[in-house]
Amino acid sequence: MADIRDIRIECKQSDVCPEVAVVTFEGALDSGSIQKIGHSFDVMLEDNYIYAVADMARVTLVSSAALGELMGCRTRLLERGGDLVLAGLSIGIREKLTAMDANKVFKFFNDVRSAVNAYNWEYHDRSESLNLSFPSKLTFVPPVRQLASRIAKQKGYGNRDSFRIETIVDEICNNAVEHGVEGDENTIELLLTIDRKKIEIKVMNTSDPGKINALKEISKSLFVPHILSDEVKRGRGLALVKMLANDFNIECSDVGTCVHVTKLREE
Amino acid sequence: MPGKGRRYLMSESKPQKVKIRFPGDLEYIPAVRKFVAELLLVNQFSSKCAYRSEIIIDEICNNAVVYGCRTADSQVEVVCVMHEDRIEFQVKDAGGSETDLKRLRDAVAAEESGVKPILDGRKSAAGLGLEIVRLLSEEVNVEVDDNNLTSIRVIRRREDAGTCGEKKAV
Repeated sequence: MADIRDIRIECKQSDVCPEVAVVTFEGALDSGSIQKIGHSFDVMLEDNYIYAVADMARVTLVSSAALGELMGCRTRLLERGGDLVLAGLSIGIREKLTAMDANKVFKFFNDVRSAVNAYNWEYHDRSESLNLSFPSKLTFVPPVRQLASRIAKQKGYGNRDSFRIETIVDEICNNAVEHGVEGDENTIELLLTIDRKKIEIKVMNTSDPGKINALKEISKSLFVPHILSDEVKRGRGLALVKMLANDFNIECSDVGTCVHVTKLREE
Repeated sequence: MPGKGRRYLMSESKPQKVKIRFPGDLEYIPAVRKFVAELLLVNQFSSKCAYRSEIIIDEICNNAVVYGCRTADSQVEVVCVMHEDRIEFQVKDAGGSETDLKRLRDAVAAEESGVKPILDGRKSAAGLGLEIVRLLSEEVNVEVDDNNLTSIRVIRRREDAGTCGEKKAV
């Protein structure tokens, strides 16, 4: 039986989020450490924390008994509307926990920071932004749209939502290249702002003076369906975007064009 | 000319520059490194070069997030400049603690001098990650300005300059 002194537990407030407790474990979590684990959570609950991140980066062993105790601690937090998540698991420990189906009970995070960010995302509707600028060339569009799709999936959006987001980004960026000034010195700016309820996509480019009128006509036709012209046929991409999005706005000027799309999360 | 004593092919076509800024969270790194790899592939770099560049980006961005992002809204910036004969990466973060900055500088200096970085009994991510980056690239430079803004610049030569994609058997 391992000496109880082998396990060290420290509970403190998160540096970036005061209502989150970070419980750092060090050593072997085995049957001999159950009492100490339970006591640390008693203290934490007395301090009115309901969300806890278990920092497992320095854990060398997790027995099934200790895992059961952690599950019990989690249940206590769930009853209060909170949660207990695990962070910083080594590859070996993660594999063992997965073999014990612990991944079906606990959320795993790469580190404490990711776990706290996830808490803010879920409980405080925190939004996160990604800025991208790339040359105004069609070859760059496929990697850009796949990036948008991967980000959406990473943040928990379903496959269907992620694919629609990819389609929206693809169409808008293609239009930005085709209707903007092409060339190595011209860039397209993409801003993605995502939270757990929606994603906002903003694409900005430099207008091509020779194409700006065509773009204005296309964008007008999107909001007045009975206007028909040859240019409208080329505007089917933006019409598709308008169908897939919940909100859609184009601002055209002689300087640049900005397309702003909002898509609500459906899955 | 970048680098000490290194010569690179003067390119007639302009370099392609892509910049991405993302939240300082490890969860974003897989998508960002895959994005960089795909950028290289569509710009006619080989899949081998793209994969090794993905490893470089993964290592440096991991360090940037773990050691260089200390506030909730910290971000990491990655700039990729694709030349005809090489690719240049620059990764910037807000800067870590004095201890971590010193470890980073020591790790880079140790690599340059061929001396193994001293590990303090646990894995030094800055040390081991930069070993991998240096193995896969021609140059690694670290700059820290007065505001602790940390920038790591990596140059990787294009292995198959003049060819497109995988070599085919004749």
